[in-house]
Amino acid sequence: MSTTTRHLINRQRRLAAARPVAAPAPVARTPRPSRPRRRRWPAALLVLAVLLGAFATWSAVAAADLRADAGQHNTALSDPAATSEVKGRITEAVNALFSFTHADPGRTDQAAQRLLTGRAVEQHRTLLAQVRAQAAAKKLVLTTIVTDAAVSALDGDRARLLIFADQRNTSTADGAKEAPSYSAAMFAVDAVRTGGTWRIENIDTYGR
Amino acid sequence: MTVRAMRERLPVLAVCLVLLAAGAAVWGGWSWYAAAHDGAADLARSRDRALAAGEQAVQNLNTLDHAALAPGLDLWEQSTTGDLHSQLVQGRAEFEKQVKQAQSVTTARVLDGAVTELDQAAGQAAVLIAVRITVRTGQEQPVTKDSRMLGRLTRTGEGWKLSALGQAPMGTTASTAPSAGQ
Repeated sequence: MSTTTRHLINRQRRLAAARPVAAPAPVARTPRPSRPRRRRWPAALLVLAVLLGAFATWSAVAAADLRADAGQHNTALSDPAATSEVKGRITEAVNALFSFTHADPGRTDQAAQRLLTGRAVEQHRTLLAQVRAQAAAKKLVLTTIVTDAAVSALDGDRARLLIFADQRNTSTADGAKEAPSYSAAMFAVDAVRTGGTWRIENIDTYGR
Repeated sequence: MTVRAMRERLPVLAVCLVLLAAGAAVWGGWSWYAAAHDGAADLARSRDRALAAGEQAVQNLNTLDHAALAPGLDLWEQSTTGDLHSQLVQGRAEFEKQVKQAQSVTTARVLDGAVTELDQAAGQAAVLIAVRITVRTGQEQPVTKDSRMLGRLTRTGEGWKLSALGQAPMGTTASTAPSAGQ
């Protein structure tokens, strides 16, 4: 048998084998069985989309609840670097603002200009008025040292701190042999940061 | 024509919606997980609880009526733990005698408070509390004084309790005032 004949036979066989499959195909592809298939899976996807959407909504609400509950607006201690910074700055500020020497009243004024804002300017003036009035005659030296400070609230550029401080009042006038008088102070300050500098804007002496 | 066009687009639309919803679900789930496992938020919650417990305990320990000693001192014991608790229990009888003799009524109002340290792992915290204490003795005029309290708190099975309490000492740092004040 020649190879040509073999090819012909094979071709006929292939055609014979292909025909029954190829021919009935268009008949089998009637729209009926395929249509419900096409309709069903988009519906299932839509249900899935609704379920996923419901979960997304629920979890977003749960997350918001958790955050609100956590007092996210107060980062005192939970932001250690910022807490420690404001505590340090306000401690220095209080030490400078409430220390006064008759020899150089300007130093306290400069501190007031640099570190006070808003209501605190007047509050500071009132608190130091008595010392200022007697300063020259008694040669007064008032020294304030913050012994304990804690940040009770911190929210970005605003903070509130509780301050415990010791104050020593010394009279250095000639003939004044009195021992320095000590007093304990406790007060709260509201601080605000503007242009990178923490300033005191309110001094709360709890009605004293 | 339009119905057919819609029918052809429906699968595409459904796939888009699912992708969108899946994206939202992933974001929501992640956000929820992050909120629940946020160390800073967790610390903030502990801080607020410790402070609330500390303020209440300081108020309790500065409140006592000679006419209702037992409930008052019971509350003192409930508000404390550790060394402070043992001290109160040990000194109770002696203290009852003194207060009965003095006929005093002490009330306290917490003015302010803040947490200075918080160690969640160890269950330890330190607080500053400003308190105004009023003492009435017999028919005398009531005496009011402000007190600067330093407290230590320990977390127990029943929440945070005071394990140490004292007044902030005065004058100890004033001797180094001139140099520190600059």
